[in-house]
Amino acid sequence: MHSYIRPNQWVALKLPSDQLKLVQVIPDTVINLGRFGTFAANQILGRPLYFTFEILDSRDETGHQLRVLSATELHAETLIADGEGDVEPEDLDTGENGAPMRTNREIIDMNSSQKLTLEEIEELKKESGGAGRDIVAKLLESHSAIDQKTAFSLAKYTLRKRKKYMKRFTVLPLDVGMLANYLMEERDAQKTMELRDEHIGLIGCWGNVHHSGNLEVAEGVKPHGRYAVVDETAGLVVAAMAERMGILYPHDAEEAEEQPDVSAETTSETQDENAPKTRRIRPQQSSATTNTITVMHAYAQPNLSLLKYFGYDSNNPDESHPLYTHLKSVSWMQLLEPNSDPIYANEPPALPAEELAEMKQSKRTTYYHKRNRWQKVKSVVDESRAGDFDGLVMATLLEPSSVLKTMVPLLAGSAPVVIYSPNVEPLVELMDMYSVSRRTAFIEKKRELESKGEAADLSALYEEFVVDPTILLPPTLQSSRVRPWQVLPGRTHPMMTGRGGAEGYIFHGIRVFPSTQTIQAAGNLRHKRRKVEPKSTPASDRDVEMTSQ
Amino acid sequence: MPSPFLNPNPTAGPDSLALLQLRRDQIVPTILRDHDDENQGYFEGKVTNTRFGSFPHSTLIGKPWGSQVVASKVDTGSRGRRSTNKRKAEDIEASATPTGTEEETSKPALRAPVAADSGFLHVLAPTPEAWTISLPHRTQVVYTPDYSYILHRLRARPGCTVIEAGAGSGSFTHASARAVFSGYPETEQATKKRRLGKVCSFEFHEQRVEKVKEEIKDHGLDGLVEVTHRDVYEDGFLLGEPHTGKSPKANAIFLDLPAPWLALKHLVRHPPAGQESALDPESPAYLCTFSPCLEQAERTIRTMRQMGWLNISMVEVAQRRIDVKRERVGLDAEGERGATLFPQTVEQAVSKLRSDEQHAKLVRENRSNIGLPDYEPIEKAESTYKDRDADLPKYAQGRLVHRSEIDLRTHTSYLVFAILPRDWSEEDEKKCREQWPSAKVTQPSQEKKVSKKQLKREAGMERARKREEKAKQEQETQAEPTDKTEDASEVNAEA
Repeated sequence: MHSYIRPNQWVALKLPSDQLKLVQVIPDTVINLGRFGTFAANQILGRPLYFTFEILDSRDETGHQLRVLSATELHAETLIADGEGDVEPEDLDTGENGAPMRTNREIIDMNSSQKLTLEEIEELKKESGGAGRDIVAKLLESHSAIDQKTAFSLAKYTLRKRKKYMKRFTVLPLDVGMLANYLMEERDAQKTMELRDEHIGLIGCWGNVHHSGNLEVAEGVKPHGRYAVVDETAGLVVAAMAERMGILYPHDAEEAEEQPDVSAETTSETQDENAPKTRRIRPQQSSATTNTITVMHAYAQPNLSLLKYFGYDSNNPDESHPLYTHLKSVSWMQLLEPNSDPIYANEPPALPAEELAEMKQSKRTTYYHKRNRWQKVKSVVDESRAGDFDGLVMATLLEPSSVLKTMVPLLAGSAPVVIYSPNVEPLVELMDMYSVSRRTAFIEKKRELESKGEAADLSALYEEFVVDPTILLPPTLQSSRVRPWQVLPGRTHPMMTGRGGAEGYIFHGIRVFPSTQTIQAAGNLRHKRRKVEPKSTPASDRDVEMTSQ
Repeated sequence: MPSPFLNPNPTAGPDSLALLQLRRDQIVPTILRDHDDENQGYFEGKVTNTRFGSFPHSTLIGKPWGSQVVASKVDTGSRGRRSTNKRKAEDIEASATPTGTEEETSKPALRAPVAADSGFLHVLAPTPEAWTISLPHRTQVVYTPDYSYILHRLRARPGCTVIEAGAGSGSFTHASARAVFSGYPETEQATKKRRLGKVCSFEFHEQRVEKVKEEIKDHGLDGLVEVTHRDVYEDGFLLGEPHTGKSPKANAIFLDLPAPWLALKHLVRHPPAGQESALDPESPAYLCTFSPCLEQAERTIRTMRQMGWLNISMVEVAQRRIDVKRERVGLDAEGERGATLFPQTVEQAVSKLRSDEQHAKLVRENRSNIGLPDYEPIEKAESTYKDRDADLPKYAQGRLVHRSEIDLRTHTSYLVFAILPRDWSEEDEKKCREQWPSAKVTQPSQEKKVSKKQLKREAGMERARKREEKAKQEQETQAEPTDKTEDASEVNAEA
């Protein structure tokens, strides 16, 4: 849980300009906010999140330079700034009481209203204190047409100046939602496929991604909470899933040390059997059996660079991070042709203990290193090929149907499939692959091929149909967008501007097992009668599901 | 018992909730039973009847989740008319044939179901999403697009405690229970003090409370969801006794109430003396209220500002589902279902006009022959128009189009989010300053963290350089090299 700012944690600093800045809070360092000033990282370490600090001009005797702004102070400011404060907006501006309404009629559009020159403002910046408050006050004073402004436009003016000159910042926890917003607004949103909060929520829910609990993993029982993911958003989707599964933050495991957590439990359990009570056993990478994420990737290594913000560097993973044991990765080649993979196919020969004892230290290390690496790859690849995943989540550049062709058969019954796409077209095409008429045609063709004999060759079937439309139901396409509002007394309305770009679409369905029997759909009578008519096609989207006669 | 929502067994077991999916938005929830618990009186035991046929539970139990199951022939008409005695007598007769192995027991033997000619469904493992589609409506339901977003913004993660008021139909209850779930309290070992996720649900409508409690029990969520019958405006959010009870230590709060501002006074860091705060003292509290009307949202926000809530924002979620279909337009699509008979191109239109014209001319000429002995009516011309995609299979014909579903939910509610940071006292600050001296700043070390790979690469380069140097030395001993080449190799080595 994010309760205070931990050393070396990444946080998002919200600046007066409404920009977000990501910083890692390293003890004993200085954090630079550009024109908004600098401060020592130690002065925010250990403090609660969501606090707004003001950078003071003078330090106290201990060198402290930050002041916490209280909520009342913040609200008073926004409310005054928004034209609320002492003035009664309704009397002054709406003119309801017959009083003349102040308008912008007299205001002449020119740049000379502000009497302070640029040089004077620069001078002020150097001299004035009060974290920029003085400058704003001076600016308002020297504005020649300030008395002509309506309360609202005055408020806007004040706010604009405030944003430019105030030296303050708010510390926000860098979690998946915050990171997604940051990437969306400040960075190249294309990199993360313009994934927004609402999509992250939907992916997690339709994908049924959740912590798998604390049940003992008994022999012969299917382990819970194994998710497969295809992620081309540099790890944002993996992070979102890990957050929902309780394995994203390093302190998820920290808490485990003081008060053991399941994430540690699963690993320690397996160790305890082998070597009881010897503490210095390092957890084997990707060794967890429950609550795991398996990443399928197209290149030799998956791109999970965004996980660094959560303390997990995939090139140099920290063994104490919960993802170290719970994150697995398999390339498409390892999944489909494991024997083409050099590590998987070449088992380093196991050496007897005596021989090992005679070896040089460095050689022995190399031996264990190779052996462990092979073991890791072997077990991850084998369990992935065995399938039985509890869910599949995708945000990929690959053709969705090609992934589903491979992955849907590897899902457990009733496991959900969720695909995010920034554009609708790939998912529309995918929906068509699962259309009722295609499903009917598939079943008919399959039956026709099977009737030819025992060992029927079904390859023709899969030539015509990329995916088996009978094992995923009901294909659904959805989009969602939140609309932010401004809420102020008397002036509530949706925000005037927003971000365009990708709308973002979610496809979801559930892995099912079709019955081997010949099944006739039951519908209403009207429908059946229509079927008798010579020229009508058998299926409609509405009344029948999986027609097979 | 592990909940089928969180840890489903691989197959649909008896006495567990199963969701029977008829089609996309038609899901029937049922508790699978191997006996006739509701005394329906069918020969096959407990039966679920749907518009796609009848499904005795004996055909569902033991099936892997996701299986397609065929409907059975069930006599639904005659059971009510028979007296219990008569039925028993028949059962004894019946038991002789199909179920066979059963002994004479007090239980009436069940008849083996016979597959019907048509009708099927899919047995699905329960998820909060499917439950939301299928649940019995008691109040307005919070649907997936809303609750998924709300839970994400509330930072409801494994190990959190969520307050929910009111429980309503229970859709949010199930979704939030899944979001915060991190283990069952009864299977947690006594030595562990880890915080387990929990949902504290409050509802003031007594009948609804009973219903929700029953569902929670049936769904194996006991201990993960605690339902309290309470008017939260008056009595707040403490567990057990109002005002004096135990604090749930909530991290996140969801208020689906007509007047959320009335409940906010119970969600403060410093409650009146003698009371515990309902919030977790060590973490920020995340709040969401769900109000359909703007006036409610405005009033809530005003109260939030007075009570020190921060980062207040209001949004509405607009979601739509999209239908995908193939739309076929063409002149040879006659008789095709859903197709529009209309030329595909200008060329096709011209050729159609031309041939129509010719045909009309023939007919006109022929008309003058009416009554003559060799008169023959002109036959209607066969269509010769070939559509662009006529050679494709039926399912691939036409243009692929997508559009919003006809029934849109254009407004659900206004969602107001706010955050209350944790409390921070002078003492806390003092401790913090001791631990992290304000003025202590060391020069950031120039050494950057290097990955294992890079270390390896560097080590490799180092080795290569040594080799080179060695080779060079040997060379030097053999022959004196010119100054130029030496310089060059040195530069290379440094680079």
